[in-house]
Amino acid sequence: MNKELVKYPFELMAHPFNGFWDLKYDRSRKTNLVISFIILGLMVLTNVLSTQYSGFLVSMYNPNYMNSLLEVLYVLIPVIFWTVANWSITTLMDGEGKFVEIFTSTCFAMLPLVIINLPWIWLSNYISLQEASFYYFSGSLATIWFIFLLFVGNMTVQQFTPGKTIVTILLTVAAMAFMAFLCLLFFSLVQQIINFSMTIYQEIVLRS
Amino acid sequence: MKNVANRARAYILLAVCVLLGVMPGAAPAMADGSSSSYNYSYWGEPVASPAAYQATELWTGDSLGTGPLKDPSDMHVTPDGDIYVLDTGNNRILILDSQFKLERIIDSFKQDGAVQTFQSPLGLFVTENKDLYIADTGNRRVVQLDSGDNVVKVVDSPQSEQLPENFTFQPVRLVVDKAQRLYVMATGVYDGFMEFNSGGDFTSFIGANKVTIDPVEYFWKRISTQAQRSQMVMYTPTEFSNLDINEEGFIYATNGQRSNNVKKLNAQGSDILRRLGYWEPEGDIYATVTTGYTRLADIDIGDSEMYSILDANHGRVFTYNGDGYLLYVFGGMGNQLGYFNTPAALERVGDDFIVLDKALGEITVFRSTEYGRTLNQAVRSYYNGDEEQALQLFRQTINMNANLDFAYSGIGKAILRQGDYAEAMKYFKQSMDKTNYSKAYLLYRKQVLRAHFTEIVAAVFLLVIAVFAWIKFRKMKVRKKVVPREQRAG
Repeated sequence: MNKELVKYPFELMAHPFNGFWDLKYDRSRKTNLVISFIILGLMVLTNVLSTQYSGFLVSMYNPNYMNSLLEVLYVLIPVIFWTVANWSITTLMDGEGKFVEIFTSTCFAMLPLVIINLPWIWLSNYISLQEASFYYFSGSLATIWFIFLLFVGNMTVQQFTPGKTIVTILLTVAAMAFMAFLCLLFFSLVQQIINFSMTIYQEIVLRS
Repeated sequence: MKNVANRARAYILLAVCVLLGVMPGAAPAMADGSSSSYNYSYWGEPVASPAAYQATELWTGDSLGTGPLKDPSDMHVTPDGDIYVLDTGNNRILILDSQFKLERIIDSFKQDGAVQTFQSPLGLFVTENKDLYIADTGNRRVVQLDSGDNVVKVVDSPQSEQLPENFTFQPVRLVVDKAQRLYVMATGVYDGFMEFNSGGDFTSFIGANKVTIDPVEYFWKRISTQAQRSQMVMYTPTEFSNLDINEEGFIYATNGQRSNNVKKLNAQGSDILRRLGYWEPEGDIYATVTTGYTRLADIDIGDSEMYSILDANHGRVFTYNGDGYLLYVFGGMGNQLGYFNTPAALERVGDDFIVLDKALGEITVFRSTEYGRTLNQAVRSYYNGDEEQALQLFRQTINMNANLDFAYSGIGKAILRQGDYAEAMKYFKQSMDKTNYSKAYLLYRKQVLRAHFTEIVAAVFLLVIAVFAWIKFRKMKVRKKVVPREQRAG
């Protein structure tokens, strides 16, 4: 049973159409969620480790400005934004996916990013500049695989046609941009309000 | 209550200090300004650097004994150290020796028996045998005088099919190569430099700048009518702002653009400047609207392919080595010694720099500090292939300035040549030199693999055996499991 649970996300990776069907209709929501959070955690780990431990030749990070917490956010925020935006759009477009299903299918789709990029963090320390093309090639391969899985996952979970899936994905990206804009607006307004009350407080305190 | 207020104030003060301290995009000028300089790191941050040059003397027309200079615009220094200063407003040329003692003044010359003078000349050049070329801008001619002030030739009103009908020749700056070919930068010429042969005949244009198009302006131009368009400014390539020639006959040119403003032209007029440094050789890589952009006024070529550019907007002199790495920066705008009002020309006298200020009519002398001398020597040794000495000198340099990223690369190259690959890798990493790091790493990896060849083969062999054994073991286990089930069935 346990062994099969480990195998399951890998089988989904290789046979996404059957895999996502199973994810939606056959598997228990709880196991899906557990696996999803594990994959998400591994993705965060990959991202954090790659900023710190990638080989010198392929690393592009300024170590002075490396911040693990921000790296965690760089993974979590897009996933949250994507899930919320996709759910909002597909609900309006008669999608059959529940919020949890969108979230789990997104997390499952990230598995190639983890299993390809995580070993490369270690391996990239032992390559020359000429061999770095393998690194970049597998990186792009992982990304393409991820996008394909995301597409199939969304299509299966929502029970959409391929054309409609592409349209919803494009709309989702637009919605994500809109959400980012709203968040920025919100935070800058909150900041100004805080600043304003701080100033008033200071004014009162310093005058008394 | 008072206590709380005090604490709040302290926090705010602290926050302000922290904010100011970590601002990475802040203007690169240092707070104290006088003693320290800056350089740009691999990451594009201005980092502190010791001063490589310091202003030591200031020469005015009075201290030279010639009366005040009026809008001097160009200088030239001969290899034996004679300094030629073009006093544009007074229409004369001052010739000084390397100690700034006045040798003579040229303010006129004789041509066909008649005495001729200059009219606001803007550029001059002196060849190796002391032939003096003057861009006599107001008189629209270039005059060549030999060392005895006799006219050799006068170049005016060039004739060519390549020139427009009503062309007026206004030479501004000029250089002469070893074959006596004359390259003239002229006002209103957008096709590059005008090349004249040794006989003074116009031959061709060389090295035009490319047209740069502002997308916004392009958009407006697309949607405007023909009549409106004719009112607008035409797209023309930017004019050059100055030029210099090195011993090998390559022309270095500057233009007034913000970036891509330095060029090294070969005989065909194509740009062959090496841009291998962390950042383009273009002066300050950061500019803000308030401080203004880099605008290059002059370029001077030193030995070992080093060259310096003069930013007229900020009064700074940037020196690069032949690969395009920034070596040091000095100067600035201001009223103290070592700061300028309207810097116009830059020359080297040996290892020293002299900068001409146009509006003030002053010449500032900059002499190298120990740091500057060491760095210059290191670059020279490296250029000449003396890696041993370069290694020593670069080590001294980074002892004085640990922020000089590219010096580590110089050390790394010397160590790599000595065969200590692991150590070389460390230095290349320090200088963020990925290409050389990769080279060193390949050699290092080969060395390690060769040294541990037997162990590695043995390990691989053992691993293969282990895998086979594991598979065999698994099969046996499965068979055992299968057997009882069959028995049960039977």
